[in-house]
Amino acid sequence: MLKLFAPRTALRASARSGAPIPAFRPSAFPLTCNAAFRRGYASEAEERDLIVIGGGVAGYVAAIKAGQAGLKVSCIEKRATLGGTCLNVGCIPSKSLLNNTHLYHQILHDTKNRGIVVDGVHMDIAQLMKAKETSVSGLTKGIEFLFKKNNVEWVKGTGAFADEHTVDVNLVEGGERSLRGKNIIVATGSEATPFPGLTIDEEKVITSTGAIALKEVPKKMVVIGGGIIGLEMGSVWSRLGAEVTVVEYLGQIGGPGMDAEVAKATQKLLAKQGMKFKLNTKVTSGDDSSASVKINVEAAKGGKEETLDADVVLVAIGRRPYTAGLGFENIGLEVDERGRLIIDQEYRTKIPHIRVIGDCTFGPMLAHKAEEEAVAAVEYITKGYGHVNYNAIPSVMYTHPEVAWVGQNEQELQKEGVKYKVGTFPFSANSRAKTNLDTEGFVKFLSDAETDRILGVHIVGPNAGEMIAEGTLALEYGASCEDVARTSHAHPTLSEAFKEAAMATYDKAIHF
Amino acid sequence: MQASLRVLQHQPMIRFLGKRTLPTNINHAPKPHPAAPASRLPDSFATYRQKAQQHGPLNTSATNTGIGAQTGASLGPVELHPSGMAFARSELPKKFQTVPWTLAEIEAIESGGASMVA
Repeated sequence: MLKLFAPRTALRASARSGAPIPAFRPSAFPLTCNAAFRRGYASEAEERDLIVIGGGVAGYVAAIKAGQAGLKVSCIEKRATLGGTCLNVGCIPSKSLLNNTHLYHQILHDTKNRGIVVDGVHMDIAQLMKAKETSVSGLTKGIEFLFKKNNVEWVKGTGAFADEHTVDVNLVEGGERSLRGKNIIVATGSEATPFPGLTIDEEKVITSTGAIALKEVPKKMVVIGGGIIGLEMGSVWSRLGAEVTVVEYLGQIGGPGMDAEVAKATQKLLAKQGMKFKLNTKVTSGDDSSASVKINVEAAKGGKEETLDADVVLVAIGRRPYTAGLGFENIGLEVDERGRLIIDQEYRTKIPHIRVIGDCTFGPMLAHKAEEEAVAAVEYITKGYGHVNYNAIPSVMYTHPEVAWVGQNEQELQKEGVKYKVGTFPFSANSRAKTNLDTEGFVKFLSDAETDRILGVHIVGPNAGEMIAEGTLALEYGASCEDVARTSHAHPTLSEAFKEAAMATYDKAIHF
Repeated sequence: MQASLRVLQHQPMIRFLGKRTLPTNINHAPKPHPAAPASRLPDSFATYRQKAQQHGPLNTSATNTGIGAQTGASLGPVELHPSGMAFARSELPKKFQTVPWTLAEIEAIESGGASMVA
């Protein structure tokens, strides 16, 4: 163990040059595994306070937080840029496309009644993609800068466990490097779940990664899965002129968590924009052997089969943890039936100095949830205490109008037998929404019938994604509807709809 | 009158609790993650800790902080005791003593590892 503190080569070099032998700094933690006592012939692995495997949202936030706390930290990431799925092929590029295609769609369909006359509008797909790439590269370079600022070493390669304290890195530039860590955080993220029988080529049969990089607008697009990713990417290509059909196995769109009333209203609004929906429908098989793709579907409970033809099929049935090549089996870490690494309340695996955060473990696969966990995991290491409230993690769907929610929905409350009150307020009665000519949707509060404590907030409407932050804060603080209703909200703003919905829940709204 | 007004005043559920401090007693015993579907951890969690306890660091409650919470640098350099007394490495238990070089090791290093495959 002692040889780790002062490598022999360094001591011998010092002795030869006559320089004083530097004082060694002992580790705060005595390494326990046998490998620590074993002499190797290769160069000794470098020791870190923390090794983070994965440079996505979970990994890079953990690395920066640890760097700020003064830990000696290395982050292993194989991509050419930091930021993982979210920054490179997920949240960020999709938001660029959603924003710009919304502008295009609005210019095409929603300018004349505003007194704006626009002629000769057309879409330049190559430039659309370039704008997306500019946003992405700006942000990923920003993370690289933050690494340097906080003394985080970026090791470019693929990390695999060699033993409980050692991660072998297969370097992108060639060769291998061994890193030893007192603590290790695994943040390897997730990947799109493939659909059996369809081969993902990211051209004809695509995942969200392909959906943000199509070179031309497909005539017909089938989206398998009516969750957030499917609806967002379906919206993008629908706005650009594709005939989009969403096939969803369940009886409502939006995926888990979305309130049924909100899901129904959202489906109507998206259908008005041109998207088609096949709910309660299962995809039985697919054939991608010809130029187009044929998708066979039938009613979820069984029924007549139908074939859908598409130029492009987007597989958006969910995501699964990505742990391939991590070598967690080498050290006996366990996964559950869905491939998630098993952890306790402090993100520790059965080996306490190895923690797991983000998409590759429990909880919703959301970037902001991963960030919260990253901060908490590092605080558990440095302070022994961390905080993530899994009951107050917001969800947002960035279609137009946006959909956002936090806390429980009506169906969950009914299932649990909770007595609750409901209050809603439509944007059609909100002054700012009226001036913006953007009045679709509503805000809905759910509160405890006895105490008035907020249990859930659900919004479909303009700016819902920003507005939900107030609901999340209220939920986190344990606020009542009356607390929100008695808080002054600026006039005229969309946020007044939020306040009025709170008023409607504990008393009555003024403007509706 | 004023008392009645005070009663009618809204009492917010949100209250300022003062500057945030860390809880003094934290139970670090492993429990299922709040977002985990299972209500209990696999037995391996307890088994590993039981096994690892023999080496010392686990299940000790000297501090509330996690393993390796302090950086090596923050502990400062190791200096000679002011009394001028020091112990020899050979006085330590055998596992901490210098492992003598074997001829095979020396040869392996000098040949760049070639002797290992020769």
